[in-house]
Order: sequence, then C-alpha cells, then structure tokens
Amino acid sequence: MATGEILLRLEDAHKSFGDNEVLKGISLSVRRGEVVAIIGASGGGKSTLLRCCTLLETLDRGNLSYGDLQVTTDTGAGAQYAPKSVLAQARQRFGLVFQNFNLFPHYTVMKNITDAPIRVQKRQKDEVFAEARELLAKMGLSDKENFVPCDLSGGQQQRVSIARALAMDPSVLFFDEPTSALDPELTIDILRVIRGLAKEHMTMVIVTHEMSFARDVADRIIFLDAGLVAEEGPAEEVVNNPKSERLKAFLRHFQSGGVD
Amino acid sequence: MMGLLGKGLILTGQIFAVTLLGALPLGVLIALGRMSRFKPLAWLMRLYISFMRGTPLMLQLMALMFGPYYLFGISLSSSWKYFACDIGFILNYAAYFAEIYRGGIQSIPRGQYEAAEVLGYSKSQTFMTIVLPQVIKRIIPAMGNEIITLVKDTSLAFVLGIMEMFTTAKAIAASQVSMLPYAVAAAIYWGFTLFAEALIGRVEKKLSYYHD
Repeated sequence: MATGEILLRLEDAHKSFGDNEVLKGISLSVRRGEVVAIIGASGGGKSTLLRCCTLLETLDRGNLSYGDLQVTTDTGAGAQYAPKSVLAQARQRFGLVFQNFNLFPHYTVMKNITDAPIRVQKRQKDEVFAEARELLAKMGLSDKENFVPCDLSGGQQQRVSIARALAMDPSVLFFDEPTSALDPELTIDILRVIRGLAKEHMTMVIVTHEMSFARDVADRIIFLDAGLVAEEGPAEEVVNNPKSERLKAFLRHFQSGGVD
Repeated sequence: MMGLLGKGLILTGQIFAVTLLGALPLGVLIALGRMSRFKPLAWLMRLYISFMRGTPLMLQLMALMFGPYYLFGISLSSSWKYFACDIGFILNYAAYFAEIYRGGIQSIPRGQYEAAEVLGYSKSQTFMTIVLPQVIKRIIPAMGNEIITLVKDTSLAFVLGIMEMFTTAKAIAASQVSMLPYAVAAAIYWGFTLFAEALIGRVEKKLSYYHD
C-alpha cells in the first residue's frame, strides 16, 4: 500500500451543470506511487471528476490541491480559484490522457511529444528529443517519430498521447477511459503500457470500464454512483467483495458483458 | 494596346496583393472579435460584417472616395483614390474572410483546446500554433473562392478612375471602337485566376501531409 506523500487532495467537491448536480461532495486523495481506478456507470460523474481535477472544469465548491499548491479554496460561498500563475504551476504537476487522444494532427509524433516541453517548459531541445526517443522506444514506436497521427492506428495514437503526457514529467497522470475509443485487440497494448507505468510507480488516476484491469493494476478502486463515492477500498476487495447493492449490480452488469 | 493593358494589369495586381496583405490578417482579428465573449465587441463585429457584406463594394468605394469631402469638407489630393481603393477592398474582403475564419475556427474540436490547455500552452500559443494552422488547411477551398472573386472584383476600381486593367480596356475599346481590348482583358483575367488557382492548389498540396 502506498505510503508516499499526498500529491493530490480533493475535498468535498461539488459541480453542477445547470440544475444537474453531477458531483455531490466528493473527496479523494492520491499518494505518490499510488494507482487509483475510478469506476461507475455513465453519468455517475467520473469524467466530470477528472475534468475538475485537471482544471478543464471549475468546481462550484470544494478544495483542490496538488502538493503544496492550493488550487481552490472553499470560502463557504464557493470554490475560490488561485491566481493564474498558481494554476499554471499546478498544470505542470499533472498530465491527462484523453479518451480520444486529442493529438495535434498537424504535428508529427515527435513534435506532438516535444513541443510542449520545449515551448511551455522551455527545456533544452536536445534533452527533450533524447527523452522523447526513450519514451517512444518504451511505447514500441521508435520507427514512427516522423509519422503524423493520421498514419497511426488508434492504439498507436493513444501510446503517443501517453508519451506526450509523460514528456511533461507530471507527478500525477490521469487517464480518461483510455481504451474506450479503441478496438478490443488494441486495448491490450494500452493496458500493457499502463501496467508498465504502474510497475515504475507512476502515480496514476484512471477512469476505466475495464474491470479486471482495474482490479489487477490499481491499488485502490473508487466506485462513483450518482455523484458520490459509493464505495472505496483496495482493488481486489472492491471487485471481489462488493458491499453496496449498487456496486454489486454494477459489477454484475459488467460480468454479463454489458459494457456501455 | 498590350503595353497599356500591361500597365493596367500591374495596378490590378497591386490592388489584389494589397487587399490580401491587409484583409487576411484583419479578417482574423474581426473573426476573433465576432467570437468574443465581450458582447458589445461581438455585436459590433456582427454589424460590421453585415454591413460590409450587405452593401455593394462599389458603393463602399465611392463612399470612401467622396465621403471625406462631402461629410467633413476635407479635400484630399488626387492620390487619395488609391488609398480609398485599398482601404475599401481591405475592409470589405476582411469581412468575408472573417466569416470563413470563424467557420474554420469553430470546426476545430474542443479536444484540441483541452489538450493544449492541459499541456500548459497559453491562449495565444494555442491559437497561433495549434488552432490556426489547422484552420488554414480547412478553409483553403472557401478562401480560394474569395481570392478568385477578388481577382475580378479589382475591376470595380474603375468607379474611382483608377487605371487598372478593366478601366484601361474600356478606354481603349472606346477609342478604337473595338471589342478586342475587352476580349484581351478577359483572357488576362482568366490567366490571372489560373495563376491564383495554381498557387492555392500548391498550398493545399503542401498541407495535405495530414488529414483529420
């Protein structure tokens, strides 16, 4: 069990879209080296939770911090966001792998990976390129550095997007259903990559529908239901001995092959 | 005749080039204004685009030419007509370009902005390096249309008495009592558009290294 320092702390997160309250008070903390899987039915708030953590959505209420960086502070009247410079610093501490990759189609694989480290982090080109080549080798894509995304398969594109996120050297890496847009045979490649990262003790938060993968790779599973954490615990326990009826029903749904 | 038409063609080419040079970047600014979350600016740009597209370019040129005198009593030198012409064409074409840019910008998926945001790109970096290059590829067919229209629209400068190719052809035709200058001018305009088409085709080909 991970005992490292807390890298991400979210407290009492609330988020509504109009009248629809999607997050109804979620708390979550992630320690260094931990792999957390977030599961739950569609509409349960998984993606919104991830989008709030990655600052793509703003919380209505709640506290969010990355290590010593306080991103939002709940003033009682709502979530107060830190100044832009602090948010920019916070963005350097996490990476996000999207469901549909969102690679930059006009950039080569190499430029997709190296552009942000060079342009945003202002790192040395040589160093960034060397690191990118290492990452590509790790992803089994060494021969693809001059390809553009449209010439790659979905699985290859997703591996490039993982490399792109890793090149920023994030302390927490988020995955938003990283295999949902892929054919089953390509899913395996991505899961293998994530498993490899888990072995290297990369801190990860993964929203996924791959239940057996979540059980095998995650240290901890959080089951979201109707905007709340309905059940949470060590991965094996959550999947093998669900306590709540909702989770039991959810897992049955999966075992019968009904993946949405 | 060819010498005179050739001189006219140079002026035609100048109006064409200056218009593109001014209207291509101005169109981006107008499109951004039109999409601004600051409502008064968005409405102002909407009104601007509506007016520029909703009134004849010929009328706009006349207004610029004679407006300073009739409205404010300012008499301008005889070279004012060239400025009036360039300004009129730039302001008018920028409105059309703005709408094409807007269509292109709005067609870029949200995910591109989100990926850039998470990677820490600033708003302007995102626009200039991620969004705009993709927009350019998408709008080339529509821009090609406008650019080819512009080749021929330059003939509207005749209302300001500018000796571009059409004005010249008209003058020669009148003095020689012949249709031939018109025919030659038509052939040159066509040649010009073929050249423009070829250039646009090259840009399109250059950007065909990817698709999305």
